[in-house]
Amino acid sequence: MPVKGWTYAKFEGIVQGVGDSKDFLYTSEGGSGTASLQGYPTIDFKKLYGPNSVIVTGIDEMWYTAAAIGASLIGLKTVVDHGMYMANALTFDLIYQWASKLHYMHGGALTVPAVFVQSIAAQEKGLAGQHAEYEEDSWYMHTPGLKTVIPTTPYDMKGLMIAALRSNDPVVLLEYAGFRGLTGEVPDGDYEVQIGKAAVRTRGSDITIVSSGNGTPQMLEAAEKLKKEGVGVEAIDLVTLHPLDTETLVKSVQKTKRLLTVDQSKYTLAPGAEVVARVAEAVPGAKFKRIAFPDAPAAAAPEMLEYNRINPDHVYQAAKWLLAR
Amino acid sequence: MSPTPDGAAGAAKQSETRKGVSRRSFLKGMAATGVGMSVLATGLKSVAHAQQMTPDLTDAKLIDMYARMLRMRWWDRTYGDILLTDQNFRSWAHIWYPYAGQEAVAVGVTTALNQDDWIATTWRGSGHMTAKGGDLKKMTAEITMKATGLGGGYGASMHMTDKSIGFLFSTGIVGPNAAIMAGVAAGIKQRGGKQVAVAFAGDGAHASPYFHVALNEAAILKLPFVYVIENNLYAAGAYYKVQTHLDDIAVSARGFEIPGVVVDGQNVIAVYHAAKTAVERARAGQGPTLIEAKTYRYYGHSGGAGVKVGRMGSFGMAYRPDREVLAWMARDPVEIHKTMLLNLGLLTEAKAEEMEQAAKAEVAAAFKFAADSPVPRAAEALRHVYSSGGPVPARQFANTKLF
Repeated sequence: MPVKGWTYAKFEGIVQGVGDSKDFLYTSEGGSGTASLQGYPTIDFKKLYGPNSVIVTGIDEMWYTAAAIGASLIGLKTVVDHGMYMANALTFDLIYQWASKLHYMHGGALTVPAVFVQSIAAQEKGLAGQHAEYEEDSWYMHTPGLKTVIPTTPYDMKGLMIAALRSNDPVVLLEYAGFRGLTGEVPDGDYEVQIGKAAVRTRGSDITIVSSGNGTPQMLEAAEKLKKEGVGVEAIDLVTLHPLDTETLVKSVQKTKRLLTVDQSKYTLAPGAEVVARVAEAVPGAKFKRIAFPDAPAAAAPEMLEYNRINPDHVYQAAKWLLAR
Repeated sequence: MSPTPDGAAGAAKQSETRKGVSRRSFLKGMAATGVGMSVLATGLKSVAHAQQMTPDLTDAKLIDMYARMLRMRWWDRTYGDILLTDQNFRSWAHIWYPYAGQEAVAVGVTTALNQDDWIATTWRGSGHMTAKGGDLKKMTAEITMKATGLGGGYGASMHMTDKSIGFLFSTGIVGPNAAIMAGVAAGIKQRGGKQVAVAFAGDGAHASPYFHVALNEAAILKLPFVYVIENNLYAAGAYYKVQTHLDDIAVSARGFEIPGVVVDGQNVIAVYHAAKTAVERARAGQGPTLIEAKTYRYYGHSGGAGVKVGRMGSFGMAYRPDREVLAWMARDPVEIHKTMLLNLGLLTEAKAEEMEQAAKAEVAAAFKFAADSPVPRAAEALRHVYSSGGPVPARQFANTKLF
């Protein structure tokens, strides 16, 4: 299978998701609406959909988010490629107050078929607070009317983008900025990654570990180590945060009776909190553990930042703790 | 600070201003007294004359403008009367946003539009909905939250839609509708369409960042967008100068080098010409226009405070003198247009009375339809979260399935 980078997978997903229609608008801050990959044609939205299909602005999140909502309301497919995670709250006003509930407030008469690519900061050292927070998963997961997905591989990025563009509902596609350098196997053809379905990354019957976004690579590395020790780990990547795939989660814990949730997001109301709550209702006698980034902003100094961030060892130790119960 | 608007003061000084020698004071006087002329704030291009009878203003069109204004006027007056007399009426203080006094703005602008041009409005959307040719029955049912309403009772007055007439949405949030409608214009442009997107807002919107975001970006991209500010002097109960440094909000257009037009919002012909110029410019790919219509709302910001059965307007409001309301009523947009139609011989007093009775009857039938309509089924609350329409899971009961 061909190996592609994250961004090319995203753009290929946009092209295949939009299909033959020219009713498409791409808005972004900076960039040019193009992506390239050696051995593949350069994807250039202006060439594919016309010169007015791309709105690239300076620092004007309120505009390019509102513009996509407006164009969506009259039936265009739109993608807001919002890479500026430090301004997520500015776009949140429009996504939360408008895109998520226009359909409902108008009794189904309006639809907003927009895809909001919302970046989550990579929590790089030295940036601190405003440029290094990881918590948007909780904001959007809490909001009905949106479908909120968070890919962890280029394969999922493309497949979710296609599914998102074919949905008539607003989709928030959370893009962890640290994944932009990822490469992975991505088919050339058209495929969807189903929205609303969690991915079981490893099978096992001793413990269920659930994570999402940048918690997932930490989880998988720990699962590898646990597996070598003979522990049967069922590692579940949520992929979709809303609507949550309760069935997959419950059925796994019915088998393992142990659930560990791993969040790179802030502890209080991190996705794992909802996962634990739903499973607890359905699986009597199960045992639980949650680990997450503490309820604190991100520090600039790498020593402090890394102290708070979830790493594979945190996951491993928490799993051992839970297995001993 | 004394919240005495120029308009009322101007009306009282009618004879004085007419003697004025400078062009500026002449125009100011004309605008204030309702002789009706729109003046450009930016000094860019054409001046639209209030009484300019261009051939596109056919007899039928002029009469239809009057008919729509009557419907709007009596919809508000009927609502007020029912609100005060019918204990069972489904309304609370915060869901009636009267439009009476501003009719010329919505009618003037929508007359310059085609049916497939898009508009979005404020909470005071019953006026624009009626002006754009909306179904009064379905509109009234929605505003009283009935199952037969435009949105099945999910949204009420602040969330109305009728795509079939180009009424995209009303909203209760000040500001963003401008940027969203500029986005509609971007969508139109990408499709290669010839439609225009119009956002209506009040004077309070000028203080919102979205006001500036929308005009800046629409100017850059030359979007087919028209922004209509209905300056009725009060953002809710606050005199507009409390939050706007400018006397004329349309002056803001200078900063974007787009046309900014101040127009007499009591004169439907003046508004029509201002809108027509803006719409033609937008359709020609020349970009956005900011129109500021100076107008006045007879009732309060919302609800029935200060309203009496059978009497138009709200009186005894703390933030404005009653004499100010009466002064503006002396320049009533419906009366101004009626007088013009009578003078042109397009209307007789008898015919005018007949039209007024017809409007009242149509409005009464709309309120009756709404009153007779069923309320929504409670469990419908779980539907229309997503476009599949199906219900989301109930979570409020003990016996619901988890998945």
